[in-house]
Amino acid sequence: MSNDKKLTIKRLLIFLVISFLPFIVIVPIMWAYYGEPIFVSEKDNVMAATSVLGVFGMMIPSCANLITRLVTREGFGRSYLGLNCKGKMGYFIASVLVPLAYSAVTMLVLCAVQFGGIQESLASPSLQNTGLFLLNLAFSIVIFFPAFGEEWGWRGYMMPKLMELMPKPAAVAAGGVIWGLWHAPLTAAGHNFGVDYPGYPWLGILFMCVDCVCMNAFLTLITEKTRSVYPAAFAHALNNNLSATILLSIFGTQAAAEQLTDIEPMSFFMVYLAVLALVGIVSMILLLKGGKKGSAALDNAA
Amino acid sequence: MSGLLYKNFRINRSSFIFSLCTAILCCIVTILFAVFIGGADSIKDDNAATSIGMVNALLYYLAFLLPSLTTSMLFEADENKTCCAFAMSLPQGGKGHVESKYYYLLILNITVLFIAFTSDMISFAIYGGKVSATMALMLIFCWRLLVSAIEVPFVIRFGSQHGVEIKGVVIFFIFMLIMIYFFFGDISWLMSVEDPVEAFVNWLNSGDTIFWISLFPFISVAAYYLSCRISVKLFRKGAENYEQ
Repeated sequence: MSNDKKLTIKRLLIFLVISFLPFIVIVPIMWAYYGEPIFVSEKDNVMAATSVLGVFGMMIPSCANLITRLVTREGFGRSYLGLNCKGKMGYFIASVLVPLAYSAVTMLVLCAVQFGGIQESLASPSLQNTGLFLLNLAFSIVIFFPAFGEEWGWRGYMMPKLMELMPKPAAVAAGGVIWGLWHAPLTAAGHNFGVDYPGYPWLGILFMCVDCVCMNAFLTLITEKTRSVYPAAFAHALNNNLSATILLSIFGTQAAAEQLTDIEPMSFFMVYLAVLALVGIVSMILLLKGGKKGSAALDNAA
Repeated sequence: MSGLLYKNFRINRSSFIFSLCTAILCCIVTILFAVFIGGADSIKDDNAATSIGMVNALLYYLAFLLPSLTTSMLFEADENKTCCAFAMSLPQGGKGHVESKYYYLLILNITVLFIAFTSDMISFAIYGGKVSATMALMLIFCWRLLVSAIEVPFVIRFGSQHGVEIKGVVIFFIFMLIMIYFFFGDISWLMSVEDPVEAFVNWLNSGDTIFWISLFPFISVAAYYLSCRISVKLFRKGAENYEQ
């Protein structure tokens, strides 16, 4: 193994230790302190604490990126902090439209499964609801910060390192699994799936890993093509802020929203995962298609 | 572009640091306010939460105020014919020079937004999840973008002194419009109730108000982009009027 590879592995390991440690320590402490899995609690103070944990927790990978670069004296070359939108505007637009599209498709599939078809009576399109949707969309300006916090770490540091060590498909899969495992303490505490499902918490962690592999393919694609972490951060912010359930709560009637809350989180997640898998496959193909064409020029831009 | 951006940060380092310090101070006040009024225990009903949210929004507005006051200083440093001629001789030309100013303002506002957002999350935790001014923060940020979008082309075309005067006139005009609305408009939504805060929230939730408000962030972002394009076009003409 060459010295360069050894150094890359060393840096990657330092980055991962710093990224993983806070959640592994903080989540069990909070769980013990509040006496219940924190993400399923209905107490106001616990819900506030989990929101704050979520927001600041998402910034951990960025801090890990920063600390690793400083500790290992790597410097800030290839930091992916440039904008690089010249000639790459399509990827910036895709970072907004693709998450909206797969959330909308998930919502429609959910309605079709739950209500036996897409019925007009379940929708409540109005100017007020459109306003709510647009406000949520604009709110991504603020949600951008935590999303950037994750993206600068995972896509801006971990993925380039993994792609140095292994072929792209393997790197995307490994990166997705690492990202999914990073969520494991949260998943065990009831994040996304709750705690009442068969196979708790292992099935939840597995689903999260699959979800992260699919998302990772898309986010890596837009990051690598633009050599900028901002489109991925936008896509991540929209993914979190305008999920299918939020879209339905905005555009669906009260009855539709109530009926959908009865769906098991696992069933909902399977529909979401099926749609996301398609996005992941297409992204993977596009990522491989680009090859090394123009890579050197883009590296300089990053 | 990074070189021009570096130049802007270098020249305006003290005002940048001062703006951030003011923002941090306002945010510390917000957190201390949350601690001293008793955190979650002080929120007895929805109206109390809305009122505290409005106080927080006001403090965040103050956090954004100083960066906006330093906008003219950003242009003052380059406001002479020699600097402008040098800027035009660069590979990026006048376009890069003007765009770097817009990037600088955007970065400054985004940094303040980040500080305010962090502070809002801490207050959110102190209030036990009952008070959040994050939506207000987003609207304040967009308002700052809109004001900069109006101000900068005037500063570039007529110089920082006249630009500030024109900004004052525009803000005065908007203020007058609001005053006229309150004096002569239909404010039954405000007068017919005892609690103005509740009335304001009801007004926001009534009819299509939310739709028109939701357009505001998109309009301000588009205006900022458009303003940059206009400023690039006005730069050469404005430079002719500068003193040697």
